[in-house]
This record gives sequence, C-alpha cells and structure tokens, in this order.
Amino acid sequence: MASGSAVAPRPEVRVSRARPAVAPALAAREIRRSYGDRLVLDGVSLAVAPGESVAIIGENGAGKSTLMRICAGLIQPDSGEVSVSGQVGYCPQEPGLFDLLSADEHLAMFAPALGLSREQALADGHRLLSEFAFPTHQRAQCRHLSGGARQKLNLALALLGGPCVLLLDEPYQGFDHGAYVSFWEHVNSWKRAGIGVVVVTHLLADRDLVDRVVEQRITCEAE
Amino acid sequence: MSARRIFVTAKMTGIDLARRRIALGLLTALPLAFYGGSVSRGSGAVITGGVAMAFSIAGASIFVALTARPVDPRLILAGYHPTELLLGRLLLLELFGVLVSGLFSIVMVLGSNPAHPWSLAAGVGLVALTSVPFGLAVGAVSPHELEGVLILIGVVGIQLTLFSTDLAAHFLPFWGGQRLLDHSVNPVAPGAAVPGNIAYAAVLFAIATYVMRRQAPKVGGAKRHSRELTAAARSAG
Repeated sequence: MASGSAVAPRPEVRVSRARPAVAPALAAREIRRSYGDRLVLDGVSLAVAPGESVAIIGENGAGKSTLMRICAGLIQPDSGEVSVSGQVGYCPQEPGLFDLLSADEHLAMFAPALGLSREQALADGHRLLSEFAFPTHQRAQCRHLSGGARQKLNLALALLGGPCVLLLDEPYQGFDHGAYVSFWEHVNSWKRAGIGVVVVTHLLADRDLVDRVVEQRITCEAE
Repeated sequence: MSARRIFVTAKMTGIDLARRRIALGLLTALPLAFYGGSVSRGSGAVITGGVAMAFSIAGASIFVALTARPVDPRLILAGYHPTELLLGRLLLLELFGVLVSGLFSIVMVLGSNPAHPWSLAAGVGLVALTSVPFGLAVGAVSPHELEGVLILIGVVGIQLTLFSTDLAAHFLPFWGGQRLLDHSVNPVAPGAAVPGNIAYAAVLFAIATYVMRRQAPKVGGAKRHSRELTAAARSAG
C-alpha cells in the first residue's frame, strides 16, 4: 500500500516474508477518499491474508484511521472497493461505549447482533476480558473505568463472535506494560486461529512484532 | 428484523435511562413547575403544562439518541439493523412517555378540574406520543446535546406562545395535543388533532430512521463502489 504525494510517490515499506497466495481475509483496492478538498487517501490498496498481521504506520493525518474506518465499513470511500471474507472486528481509537452501562451489559447488548445467547456472550466476553486482566468481577459503569480498562472492553467487543479480520486502531492506549506485552501474545494466538490482524500504531517496537509493515504517507495534493 | 434485538435495545435503553435519575427528575419537574406557576391564572395552565411536558419526554429521547451515537456504528457492524435500534428505543421511550403523561394527567385533572378530563388525558398522551419521535429525529440531526436541546426549547417555546387556533401552530409537532388540551378547558373543536398528530409523529420517526440508515455502516461481504477510479494505481499491500 502507498499513498499519493505531490513530491514523488514512495514505495510501500515492506518488512519480512511474502505470504502465500490465499484468498485474503480483507482486500481494499484503489481506495480514494477526500475530506472537502483535502485528499486523504489516493488509490490505496491493502490485502490481509488469514493469519497475517499487518502494522499500518504513518504520520498524524496520513489517513490511517480513515483507511481502517473504510475497511470496517463505517465510512464510504469516494471510489475503490473493499471486500471482507466474513465478520469484521473493529476496535476504534476512541472506545465507543455507553458510559452508563457496565461491561456485562455491553456484552449482553452485542450478543443478539452476533447470534449469541446472553450466556454465551457473557462467557466468551469474560474469558476475553480475563485474558487481558480486566476486573470482570466489577459491575462498574464504563464511566468509572480507567482508560486502559475501557480499551480492554473495546477490544473484547471487537473479538466477540469470532471475526475473520481484526482492525485495531491504536488498540493499547492506556494499557500498562504487562497488558501491552499480553496484547502482542494474543495477536499471535489470533493469527494461529486464522484471524487477519491489522494494527495502526506509532510505536517503532511494533514493527518487529508483525508480519508486514505498511506505511501510509500524507497526500499533499488538493483535489 | 429481530424481536430479540429490539427487546434487548429497549432493555439497555431503560437501564441507561434509569441511571439518569437526576436529569430525568429535573426534566419532569420543569413542566410541572410551568403548570404550577400558571395554575392560578386559569385554564391556560393545562395547555402550558401539557405542551411543556414535551421537554421531559423529548429531552430524554434526545439524550438517548446522542448517547448511542458513538456506539451505534459498532452495533450495526456487529449485526443490528438501524431500524431495530430505533424501534427498541421508541418502545422504551414511549413506555416512559405513558408513565410521565399519566402523572401529568392526574396532577392537572385534580389541579384544574377541566370540563373534559378525558380530552386532557388524550391531549397529554398525544404530546407524549409525538415527543419521542421528535426527540429521536432531533437527536439524529443534532451534532451535540446542546444544539439538540436548543432546538427542543425553540420548538416547544414557540408552540407555547401560540394559540391552538393560530395557523402557525398547525405546523408544529405538538399542535394535536395542544388542541385537545385546549378542548378540555375551552369551547374549541378538536378537529383533526389525533390523526394529524399521529401522521406528524410517523413522519418524524421516518426522518430519524432515514438519517440513521444514511449514517449507518454499509455492512456486507463485499462493498463495491461504482464511481470511476481516477487515481493511478499504486503498489498494493
């Protein structure tokens, strides 16, 4: 993937091996998106294979989150095409949660949408949350949770129902060191389960933890 | 359309709303204060109190709509249909409206002794019925709570300053209820208050549904966009 530039197009940064040709879990082709007269994404393409992890890096305002939101279906591109082989798990940068509802109530709310019974969603959700050391015994409303705990719930909701691809937009904001290390251990387990994982990150260390790094550059031209 | 998803949405809306006890208490106290302040001045107090009750129910509806806005895209992405979310909220908020309008009817029938108490109850019920889709529609188009509440204050305020016989009042969302409240204490015919207001409520709900569906994520296995690609292809990941 790469983006347009007024100066000169630069190649995508690639790290690590090429992957075998399998049907991608996520394929975005020729995505173009502007906000007003500001072109943010200019013919960007991204393919993620099942069980592959990809980090998207780039400066602030380069369009990383916009690309993730387009891949998730939350916003529409001006042109281009996105195809996904199954359920998308999307973890936004800002946790989209009901402030006055608890973690259990969120799990119960998501259950019927994912075709799960309430009990199944609570069991799966508690398992996911306990893996991230979320205090599942708490019945606190989300407004009383720390930023890290909110983000853990955010992540658990993205994982609920068994997605084929995870789109994680700076998912560990507010995590302590242990939770951050645990997060990357989990990325490996999700990969083994065949889930494609896309992580937007600003951390240099993350580049060594993924199969592939994709750099999104700021598009300078105006439409 | 799934009854379970509608029911779960209604239940969670109810839990969320129940935890806003202070805000709801204040919202309900405001129109009661309007009524209490004008009750000694005659029959107009019934109309003032009944129409001002829209502050309470529409206000709650605006809060519900705006609170859910950051979460709704994820719920829809997970599998909810926008209409299921709206219907669940409508169901719960109308139930809240029945409770509030019942309270107002009792207070105003006892306090003002109207000539047609059932007309008063119907008028208050009609205001409650319309307030929910009005609040959901305002919540759908308002960027923030402040703008939503200002629209609510503006519309209800204008309705309160007009007589139900004024032409302009007919175009406002609570005219039907206002007319029935007027009928309960004054010799005016109810006219097309009930069907007119029900139609108004249906249009408001349709607006809320349209806006929410427009803003909803497009979920599906493959999303294709027909516009011609203009950008030169760059390297693919």
